[in-house]
Amino acid sequence: MIEISSDVIRGYNDTMILYILEKEPSYGYEISKQIKNISDGKYLIKETTLYSAFTRMEKNGHIESFTSDQDPEGNGKKRTYYRITDSGKEYYRTKCDEWGLTKEVVERFIEH
Amino acid sequence: METIKNYLEAMFAGMPDTPEVRKARAELLQMMEDKYNELIAEGQSENTAVGTVISEFGNLEDLAEDLGLTKEVQEFHDIEAANPRRQINRDEAAAFITNRIKKSLFLALGIMLCITSVACPIITAERGSSVVVVGPAVMFIFIALGVGFIVYSGFVDGEWKFIRKQLCFIDMNTASYVKERRRSFEGVRAICVTLGVILCIVCWVPNIFFAQTEEVTTGPAVMFLLVGIGVFLIVYANNTSKGFDILLRLNDVKTISGNYNEPVTPAVKYRSKTAETIVQVYWPFVTSLYLIVSFLTFRWGVTWIIWPIAAVAHRAVVINCRSYDD
Repeated sequence: MIEISSDVIRGYNDTMILYILEKEPSYGYEISKQIKNISDGKYLIKETTLYSAFTRMEKNGHIESFTSDQDPEGNGKKRTYYRITDSGKEYYRTKCDEWGLTKEVVERFIEH
Repeated sequence: METIKNYLEAMFAGMPDTPEVRKARAELLQMMEDKYNELIAEGQSENTAVGTVISEFGNLEDLAEDLGLTKEVQEFHDIEAANPRRQINRDEAAAFITNRIKKSLFLALGIMLCITSVACPIITAERGSSVVVVGPAVMFIFIALGVGFIVYSGFVDGEWKFIRKQLCFIDMNTASYVKERRRSFEGVRAICVTLGVILCIVCWVPNIFFAQTEEVTTGPAVMFLLVGIGVFLIVYANNTSKGFDILLRLNDVKTISGNYNEPVTPAVKYRSKTAETIVQVYWPFVTSLYLIVSFLTFRWGVTWIIWPIAAVAHRAVVINCRSYDD
């Protein structure tokens, strides 16, 4: 089975996370689950990769973290949630455009 | 879930103990726990769930880079490579504790013999010249035996000397085992120390009692016996208990797997080097004084009074020599 090489996808982990956070604030495991579902289980993001992305994007001001004990299941457990910032939204758009270009260029070298 | 915690603990063992690293560990544990709970809820067996969570965890090298810790992690690996740490496993920890108990028994017994030795000349002091020399002779036999035991107790844990010299570490499982052993010993320790202190306090009672009778010297003799037993109990309990702390303090405090021991009160500070020396030579000095005075006067029935006076004075000396700044 072909697996996605982590080198290739590295530059787009942020994009996936921001896509999910643009819908609503969320927390670690929930985000990784959504990435898995949206990609039909073809991409599993590793916990360390996810946490790295969180710290990096928070430092750059693309996302903000906050603690909330509102749990979807309502079991009142304190969790770190993340929400997207305006700068994050802007960054997301740039990444989308960048991907459009990347895809277009790489596609020309691919034989089907 | 315990396996996952241990795994994460081991992964973070080399990381410096900073707020960022603590936060990262807590967040990663939370994510792993969420995933684990969901897999269990889906009906997976515990082993499969643990396997999945760990295999999908990733590696810490990337994380170190984003936390800006690449240098620290590299340094840690270098130090590790230069002086490999020796792991103390659970069985070794158990053996260490058994050994420590043995060491404490010999040490306590040695000290007890030295203290009770004084009772011998007191008993024979006022019983006629034929036996008067027997007491001091027996006293020296006691002291010789006692010192022998004390010296031997230093050799008992010879094979464990490496714990002090080499860098060693224990994992969380061993740490919780040691903590469990310490907890179960806590009860024994409480009884020993309480009983020991009580014996040291009531040691005066036989004095008062025997003072009324013909047997004037029996009082002081029994007093030393009681003090000897009391000190035996206290030394045994405290020295054994220190063994648990030695194990729990093995890990380097600066790394996150750090010290499994609760913070301890800082070491006693003295006003000056002279003050420290005074405190250190206090008891050897008193012992010498006692022996010299006793041999010169040969009034063993009276000279024991030096000990209670010295004990009271000791407190005053210590208070005056210690520094209570900060």
